[in-house]
Amino acid sequence: MTDLIIDLVSIDHGRMRDERRARLREAMRVQQVDALVLLGPTNVEYAGVKQPCADAMRMHHEPVIVILCPTGPVHVCTRFAEGAGPGDEIAPPIAAETAPGVAALAARIRDLAGSRSRVGVDEYTSAMLNELGLALPGIELIDAATVTGAARITKTGDEIACLREAQRINETAMFEVERAVIPGVRQNELTALFLQRIFELGATANIIDPIWSLTPRSIAAATHTANHDVGFPLASDDRFLREGDLILCDTGMSWNGYHSDFGKTWICSLDPRPTAALRDCYTQWQALFDEVSAVIRPGVTCGDLVRAAQRVEQKYGLSHFYLGHGVGCDSAEMPFIGSDLGIAFDDTIELAAGMTFVLEPVVWRDGVGGYRSEELIVVTDDGFERLSRYGYTPFA
Amino acid sequence: MTAPLLTPDLGTGSLEHRDRVDFRELRRARTDRLFDLMDEIGVDACIFGREANARYATGVRRLWTSLTRAFVPTCFVLRSSREAHLLSFSASYEGIPEEIAPDHYFPVTWNPMQMVERLSRLDGASSIRRLGVDGMTPLFRDLLAQVFPAAEIVGVEPDMRDMRRVKLDAEITCMRIAAATAEASIVAAIRVARPGVALKQIQAAYLERMSTLGTSQFAQQGTFSPIGPNGAVRWITPVDVLPDNAPLALAGGALWAGYEGSLARTWWHGSQPPSPGQRSATGEWRDTFARVVDALRPGASGCDVLRSFGGSARGDLTVRSVHALGLGHEGPIATPWLEPATLDAEVVRVGMVLAVRELVACDSGGYLGEDMVLIGEHGAEPLTTLGHGPLAD
Repeated sequence: MTDLIIDLVSIDHGRMRDERRARLREAMRVQQVDALVLLGPTNVEYAGVKQPCADAMRMHHEPVIVILCPTGPVHVCTRFAEGAGPGDEIAPPIAAETAPGVAALAARIRDLAGSRSRVGVDEYTSAMLNELGLALPGIELIDAATVTGAARITKTGDEIACLREAQRINETAMFEVERAVIPGVRQNELTALFLQRIFELGATANIIDPIWSLTPRSIAAATHTANHDVGFPLASDDRFLREGDLILCDTGMSWNGYHSDFGKTWICSLDPRPTAALRDCYTQWQALFDEVSAVIRPGVTCGDLVRAAQRVEQKYGLSHFYLGHGVGCDSAEMPFIGSDLGIAFDDTIELAAGMTFVLEPVVWRDGVGGYRSEELIVVTDDGFERLSRYGYTPFA
Repeated sequence: MTAPLLTPDLGTGSLEHRDRVDFRELRRARTDRLFDLMDEIGVDACIFGREANARYATGVRRLWTSLTRAFVPTCFVLRSSREAHLLSFSASYEGIPEEIAPDHYFPVTWNPMQMVERLSRLDGASSIRRLGVDGMTPLFRDLLAQVFPAAEIVGVEPDMRDMRRVKLDAEITCMRIAAATAEASIVAAIRVARPGVALKQIQAAYLERMSTLGTSQFAQQGTFSPIGPNGAVRWITPVDVLPDNAPLALAGGALWAGYEGSLARTWWHGSQPPSPGQRSATGEWRDTFARVVDALRPGASGCDVLRSFGGSARGDLTVRSVHALGLGHEGPIATPWLEPATLDAEVVRVGMVLAVRELVACDSGGYLGEDMVLIGEHGAEPLTTLGHGPLAD
């Protein structure tokens, strides 16, 4: 615990904001982009501007827009001035969902970027799609993802410290939740306990409806799926958990803009005891994780991780997911590892120190069930560090 | 159609003697309205990525996340066949309404090329001339243009928003339940608050109550923070404790069956009685609210509504808002930051559910409040009814 407290104290929020903006500006220089127009909440967060957490539609209609140029103050259109950085240029919100609002946005972009420029935009509202290009003749609009993706894929030390704290809060809350996974509890009660604990522990936001997926022991006994694989995740409701239910949980929350990711396999019981066959799934999962993690170091590709997984299990995950995914200001971001983008894509991404991702392989034996755990990893100069600390009860 | 239920009959579930909402009928009615709209605006097909539109079009309850999702096609609706296809929801059929056949259901893909290829292979895709979308990333804008070279891609969110804003009776029932849920959660937060309690603990009590009632999907995570001098409100709940003798702003919102209930109150937990200024701010808020509600008559414009707030407010004017609620936030109709042309064009209509939010500042603090009303032919009916506690005296 002492280490964690020291890490927490070591976060310099001003430095983190400055370093992220410098990375965005460096990526703009490389991509020859004259201005970035950011509406997506996680890009806005990365650009160093905070806003309250809400559901998607509220974010659309109470928008925060950041305009970042290679030099000069960052321009922030917001009604939440508390979320901007010192020295930022604060302007009233712009109604990007309406045509008059888009006209105002276009004028602002022209003022800041110049009338002959290349501007990266991360999202178009309907009104932007219909009007923005027409309102900006001479300005080339491109997808901002090339810039934000390049900046965001490796993390600074402060970002990693934020992820560590997010994961710590999430795990601490889950210790209590795991004890509550007993016959007769309802999914929404587990959610209530989880949300209560993460906020008491200082969470900034809850970013996904907690998943307490009841998983049948065979695919045939389960709900049909489009790819004939295990149906996961199933959205939570008020259903009861019963004795012996296999629960694949998946939760995530945000601390200071950085997202945790917690996934484990539990058994609902006052005295949970996995069968020998189910325990074998866990043992195999551990072997798989060990094989993959032994490969992790700067310079190897994501494809190397996939090949390592396949040495242990040819099918290392659920058909519709992946071996792993990046985590940062988004709970699933680049790099995607072992997804249906394909191994050729995986081989285009080389690991570098400061990359953070979650490995979440699944070992499934039809008729027995399966084991899944999520492990938050940061790539270090000579290998990796595991930011997930939670154990493997009731399997280990 | 289910009749609107008043307070004694509100609950979150159905019992053998009472189906509170007929969801199959609700889905059918929403889909009919969607295809009527597509007829009216001449759109052959729509691809929706936004949660509210996808839910309106298909009735599917997707795994909920906060923040916005960067645009990913979520459902495809084709006017000629009046069918919906689900894209990228999840792999499982669980929870998918029975009217959507399994062969209209595609698993998650992380590959944008696979997604657009799939779209191009759908029956009727090649005959699309006008394709409606609700939002877009520049990448998908380019990919869709390649896959539908003959189609004009148009943003239809304003049309969808206008349609969604006028509610069916069953939607109003959902919103009454959502409003009651949000109120119950705010009350739980009020009850744990006292000087010295962590603000996060107050927020925790709010979310705990909401989830215990059956929905963990918040519309707004809300703010639970003291109002400083001159109406200074923090919108992101800070890591701090509630000081003694400071008004506490509590704002939050819940989604029930996707529909939003939201409200805000300012509460007094101080060991001393509130100052005369704080009391008069509360009184002024209530007067303003009554005036705005009186102005919310069918046919009133956004300008009319904004004017009804009055001109003498101090503090942060961007808080002031009348906005539509439904499947989440449905956009402001009157706030000081809307362009004049938008304020002129916005019109209050029968069947809208509107939230009225105002902050009244005073030297020592202020009053933040928000309430929901339903617009009827003869005026507005309150959907949130929580009192104002010690500040009301």
